[in-house]
Amino acid sequence: MLSKSGAKAFFLGGTFLCATAFVLLTLDTLAQFPERSNEENLTEEVIAGWKIWERSNCMGCHTLMGEGAYYAPELTRVIERRGTPWIREFLKDPQKFFPGRRKMIKYDFFDPAVDPEADENLDHILAFFAWIQEVDTNGFPPKPDIVTQQAAAPMPGAASAVDAWAGAPDYFKAVCTGCHAVAGQGGNVGPALDGVATRYERDYLVNWIADPQAVKPGTTMPALGLDPETLEQIVSYLETLK
Amino acid sequence: MKFKSQSISWAFFAAALGLFALQLVYGFIMGFARVGMDGLHEWIPFNVARAVHTNLLVVWLITGFMGAAYWIIPDEADRELWSPKLAWIQFWSLMAVGVTAVIGYHFQWWEGRKFLEIPRALDWLVVANVLTFLFNILMTIWKGRHMTTTASVLFFGLLTAALLYLPGMITFESAVLDSYFRWWVVHLWVEGVWELILGAVLSYLLIKMTGIDREIIEKWLYVIVGLTFLSGILGTGHHYYYTGAPRYWLIVGGVFSALEPLAFLGMAIYAIAMARKGGRDHPNKVAMRWTLGCAVMSFIGAGFLGFAHTLPQVNMWTHGTLVTAMHGHMAFWGAYAMMVLAIIAYAMPQMTGRVRYRGWVAETSFWTTNIGMAGMTGAFAVMGIAQVYLERKSGMDFLDVQEAIEVHSWGLILAASLFAVGALLFIRNFLSYGRPNTEELAA
Ligand code: HEM
Ligand code: HEM
Ligand SMILES: [Fe+2]
Repeated sequence: MLSKSGAKAFFLGGTFLCATAFVLLTLDTLAQFPERSNEENLTEEVIAGWKIWERSNCMGCHTLMGEGAYYAPELTRVIERRGTPWIREFLKDPQKFFPGRRKMIKYDFFDPAVDPEADENLDHILAFFAWIQEVDTNGFPPKPDIVTQQAAAPMPGAASAVDAWAGAPDYFKAVCTGCHAVAGQGGNVGPALDGVATRYERDYLVNWIADPQAVKPGTTMPALGLDPETLEQIVSYLETLK
Repeated sequence: MKFKSQSISWAFFAAALGLFALQLVYGFIMGFARVGMDGLHEWIPFNVARAVHTNLLVVWLITGFMGAAYWIIPDEADRELWSPKLAWIQFWSLMAVGVTAVIGYHFQWWEGRKFLEIPRALDWLVVANVLTFLFNILMTIWKGRHMTTTASVLFFGLLTAALLYLPGMITFESAVLDSYFRWWVVHLWVEGVWELILGAVLSYLLIKMTGIDREIIEKWLYVIVGLTFLSGILGTGHHYYYTGAPRYWLIVGGVFSALEPLAFLGMAIYAIAMARKGGRDHPNKVAMRWTLGCAVMSFIGAGFLGFAHTLPQVNMWTHGTLVTAMHGHMAFWGAYAMMVLAIIAYAMPQMTGRVRYRGWVAETSFWTTNIGMAGMTGAFAVMGIAQVYLERKSGMDFLDVQEAIEVHSWGLILAASLFAVGALLFIRNFLSYGRPNTEELAA
């Protein structure tokens, strides 16, 4: 029968062995981290982005590499999922993109209308996301493995959307389709844009996109602050939607 | 109560229960936000509510552990606490730091690191506080007449818990490294050194209430904490599967964390076996019920529900979903919350000389909290599993999934209400004992 001193020896011995093994594995892990996390790409910008992430406690709603809270989406591969232009627009005023749904905080430091450093902050957080998505996470998050016939809107840039948006400028594919659908593919926050050219004149479209509030006060569509060239491309594309 | 200075535990227990009640308020804020009732979003957004909810949990548990130590250690060492005055200073400074941290969270004074949100400046005060506490306990043991195994395991658990707080205070440039060492605190606490505290407190309660020979109980205590470290230390690997660490953690973490339930199973069997064998029929049935309940529920919450998602093949899909919240609730409740409530239920009659453990309040509190917590765990489980299949496995959009499962958040709120009623009954029972009564001792 096991004696008390035998039990004590089991406790001390087991603890010592496991703790030693744990420390050795940690040393090896630390040696592998630089390569697995591409430490050479860990620039000042990336670190600044991580500081924003930390300071704002983004992990209090989201998960990153599966760690955090379960109120908002997993963000490890958010750039792959949404693209940088969409994220940029979204962060300026998150609730505009999902009106009436679960709320994300609007951070003034991401809004160029409020903070002159907003663009820089957006660069930083995007640099951080770009870095984290290259970390070798042993395959997390996994790709969905059940094929379904669901009608849910695909993410901008998903393969099924490629045909539907043939000829559209990249900005349109990345940002506008977050809210609007064309040929059944895209978001449903704003109206579908099929046949939009039959409903509006070119000038109207230009004014509208440049500043929706000026045309229809109270609309939920944000002013995107496009440069003239992108605006021109988008309107030309819309004119093909007859 | 053997020694006057043990009555200091009362302050710790009272504070723990107060913070517990406040924790639930923030739980409800999040529960309602999940069903779209987020009217507080401007002032207390979800991430604030969450930081407050989980930190209050940790603070009230630690306050409870300290109360337990101030009660148990003088009893085991067979002398007054080394310095009651120091203990009071430690109590009030702990409260000051805790309250400052919680208020600070409302003004974004925090670090965005789950469970370790306390800002670095306050971390140092926490360390100073805990050192004061440990010093007082150590001196009491040192100067005491006996040095029992229960007391030394309890002290060792508290000491290593303090030491393991330090890796959480290192500053890193890389998010991956930060995450790696965050688990040295979070995992090695709840699945390592806190289990020593749990084992020691259970051992104390069983010795006192069953009348079984100390040598037998303490022998099994060694076996249990041995199993804890044998599995739990390398079991940390179950947090390293998908966070940038090397692939071998899938095997190391998988194998060792799959063994972790053994320690909890051992704890449950040991508590039940000792209670069965014990000849003495202790009058405080409610305290006995909390003690056994703790041993059983910690096996269900930590052992069984932990095992449910600990293998890498499963965790690949459940990692970072509401499945984790399901396990987190039942595990913290069964192991640590129930342990603090058990020692309170045991100590109060002796501390005050009053008998308040008979009657419906104490009894109902036990069943209502446990049934409520089982319901909450069920609601999280349904939401989590649905989330895994809809979002992870078939690629549906996150918010669409959350809306599809929203109705179960009402289930969560309902079960949480039952739980909260039970918690309030416990507090009512606690208050009905009144203040500690030291006259008897003096006489
Ligand atoms: C009383 C003991 C325990 C407590 C209080 C506890 C609590 C928790 C909490 C709060 C989390 C979430 C941590 C975070 O994401 O920051 C977690 C995660 C986890 N726990 Fe435990 N746990 C306990 C024991 C166990 C045991 C014994 C096992 C395994 C058999 C286990 C398996 C896991 C796993 C695999 C995760 C990661 C979940 C994910 O990938 O999202 N836990 N635990
Ligand atoms: C009124 C009762 C309660 C309600 C409504 C509630 C609700 C919640 C909610 C909604 C979350 C956030 C999950 C997310 O990130 O989306 C949460 C987190 C958490 N709560 Fe509670 N809670 C309650 C009581 C408790 C109790 C009594 C405990 C411990 C004994 C507890 C421990 C935790 C833990 C450990 C987490 C973090 C879980 C994780 O990260 O996986 N809660 N709670
Ligand atoms: Fe763990």
